Amino acid sequence: MKRLFAISSIVFLVVLAISPAKNALRPYRSIQREFRRVGASRAKSSKTASDYQARPVAIQQIWLRGFDDRVDRCTTCHLGAADPSMGGAPEPYRLHPQTAHTPSGFDRFGCTSCHGGQGLATSTDEAHGTTADAGPPMLPLAYIEAGCGRCHTGGNVPEAAILSRGRELLASSGCYACHAVRGQNQFRSDAPPLASIPAKTGGGALRRWLKNPREADPNARMPNFHLAADEIEQLGAYLFGQNVPADLAARIDAASAEPAGNPANGKKLFSESRCISCHTVEGKGNGSAPELSHVASKVTRGWLLAFLRDPHAFNPRTRMPRYGLDEIQTRDLVAYFEDEMKDFEAPADILEPLHVNRTLAEKGEKLFRRYGCFACHGMVGTPASEKFGPDLDGIGEKRAFSLDFGRRTDLPRALPAWLAAKIAGPRSFAPGLKMPSFGFSSDDSRAVVTALLSLSSAPVPEAYRSEPLRPPSLVPGGEIGELISRYRCLSCHQIGAQGGDTSTAPLTFEGSKVRREWLIDYLILSYSIRPIIPERMPVFRMSRENATKLADALTSFYVDPSIPDDPFAGRPASDSDAKEGERLYVSFGCRSCHIIGNSGGYVGPPLSDTANRLRPGWINHWLSNPQQWRRDALCPNYGLTPTDALRLTSYLETLRAPAGGAK
Amino acid sequence: MNARRIAFAAMILVVLPSACVRRSRPANSSSASAAASPAPVSYDLRLGRGVFQHYCLICHGESGTGDGFNAFNLDPKPRDLSDPAFQKKTSDADLADAIRRGGGGVGLSPLMPPWGKTLSPRQVDGVVLYIRSLRQKPGI
Repeated sequence: MKRLFAISSIVFLVVLAISPAKNALRPYRSIQREFRRVGASRAKSSKTASDYQARPVAIQQIWLRGFDDRVDRCTTCHLGAADPSMGGAPEPYRLHPQTAHTPSGFDRFGCTSCHGGQGLATSTDEAHGTTADAGPPMLPLAYIEAGCGRCHTGGNVPEAAILSRGRELLASSGCYACHAVRGQNQFRSDAPPLASIPAKTGGGALRRWLKNPREADPNARMPNFHLAADEIEQLGAYLFGQNVPADLAARIDAASAEPAGNPANGKKLFSESRCISCHTVEGKGNGSAPELSHVASKVTRGWLLAFLRDPHAFNPRTRMPRYGLDEIQTRDLVAYFEDEMKDFEAPADILEPLHVNRTLAEKGEKLFRRYGCFACHGMVGTPASEKFGPDLDGIGEKRAFSLDFGRRTDLPRALPAWLAAKIAGPRSFAPGLKMPSFGFSSDDSRAVVTALLSLSSAPVPEAYRSEPLRPPSLVPGGEIGELISRYRCLSCHQIGAQGGDTSTAPLTFEGSKVRREWLIDYLILSYSIRPIIPERMPVFRMSRENATKLADALTSFYVDPSIPDDPFAGRPASDSDAKEGERLYVSFGCRSCHIIGNSGGYVGPPLSDTANRLRPGWINHWLSNPQQWRRDALCPNYGLTPTDALRLTSYLETLRAPAGGAK
Repeated sequence: MNARRIAFAAMILVVLPSACVRRSRPANSSSASAAASPAPVSYDLRLGRGVFQHYCLICHGESGTGDGFNAFNLDPKPRDLSDPAFQKKTSDADLADAIRRGGGGVGLSPLMPPWGKTLSPRQVDGVVLYIRSLRQKPGI
């Protein structure tokens, strides 16, 4: 009995001792003791060295009361993260690199809000989440910008280029058409409606396209659905079995009966219209719209003529402007396409209509629904609000054990690897999956995975959220709205928060910037203002009447009242001011980027006709801080005094094109 | 006693492999994901590269050799930033100073503009870091 009692007491004592012993042996303690040594050895004075040596060994933590009561104990080991003398020290003691929120924001943001992982844990494996299936793992550094996206919930984040690119790709690839994502419920794909297919293309061309859109057109935004040959036949039969809307059918029929045009004139029109500001020809051009080198082997002549005359009747959401080309000019343009822009190796019947087999067509319709084609192309009787694929909110927080790796036993059990593989080859996980593949480059794939990893199930607390402002549209309705829509100004330019990014010239304050007379001439006969930019404003063949209306509207609506039109405030500049301004122009080296007369660089706009183009108030405003206009403006801020800015303005105001207008 | 030993041995047999599995897995996944994604460049270097490519490349060229497409309009020509001799004789502080105050500010050609009021101190430091990475390796 005594013996039993002795044994049980010893066992009891041992059990009691386990916990303190475990604590004493925790790795962070030796890490902290090592930090004392590292800190002391790097210290510049014996005082700081002894400060390091006297540091107590204890758990460190950052408690974020405002951020879901988050507790981050990462600084228990990462002791030098906010210590400026630890730059370049060995890990885990190294100073955190400077970012927008560190080191000044450690107390506000902690660590796990950007890096992920488990803040409460005090052992390396648990904190970093490398213990299989334990807690949410840290974001790998390659995808770290996903952390930015948790709070910066939408749009372009200037300091997170990869995240921003990923978001752009999610939108341009049409991901939001099938998948619901918070804040993207307004998304509508600009893929064309398919009702006019029977009159648009031929069986051979459609087969090529469906087999692999990217192979038929390197600029194609439609992903590859990896359709089998019989599926292609069925879909083709369904698409060719539709009734072309009567109005479009009549236009196409009438156009296809027209006589041939003059290809030489068409060639001239093609370059004047600056089609390659969006399209490409053999890869040359912007690439945001289809490649045109084989266009005459892809679509029928009648459709092409009717489309060029009024693209918006065929696809109301297309980014293609409606040019003011007349009937003969479009005919010449199409004659040029038929002469030179066709696939000379294509079979002769590539544009022959597909023979429609009813049974196949019915199967095709089922396929059209099964693959979710309607999500981008639309279909009568399918509600647009219903999403075809699974919601993506929260995908960035999925734990590896909840993912279906299917046949992909080769993948590491981690979310980023799963997402990357899913995007590269969605069908490789299991047979019968429907998601297409998008053919992203490795950089783009990384960007998309970053953007996906940023999608959390619940938004971060309000105080941490940085959402892009969505101000009301600044585009008017009525006649002016129609003109802006007709010429699709917003496909390239920006007005307020709307618009594309092809042009570097926002129109939001166009009225404070340019002169009305210049703008009218420019709209009628556009030229390149910044010669280094390959994308140029097209010549729309706009009537003087439309140009005047648009110029009047732009110069009267889009005005910034904070920019005075007369910067000299009623005291006109003297000749000596202009002389002084010219001297400043030379001494600041403005000519490295601007051309005046016959010398200078071509980074910025040539300035020989500045006074014809720009308003003096705007020149002065620009000179005082170019980046206030566009954050990425290349013109450096010279920090000019107001007097110097006015002197330069008065010099530039003397630069006028010889009478007879600009160019 | 014997039974306890057997139980203990059995326990070790169970615990050890599972401990091994838990250790080996993360090692696998980290090496595989490292292979799948490119090596991350440090934040500051990336920042500097972005700024360099946006503002400086136009004249100084992709690799800093002074062959940007606007270079032929300039006289004197832009500095070859990759030149090891130049890199050696110029301190980080001098580079940052030239970026901030421009050629005119440091007694060189005013064709190099001052960027001190356009770029933040952090961006300037990033550009200096990036310029250092452009240094030509001997023998290449």
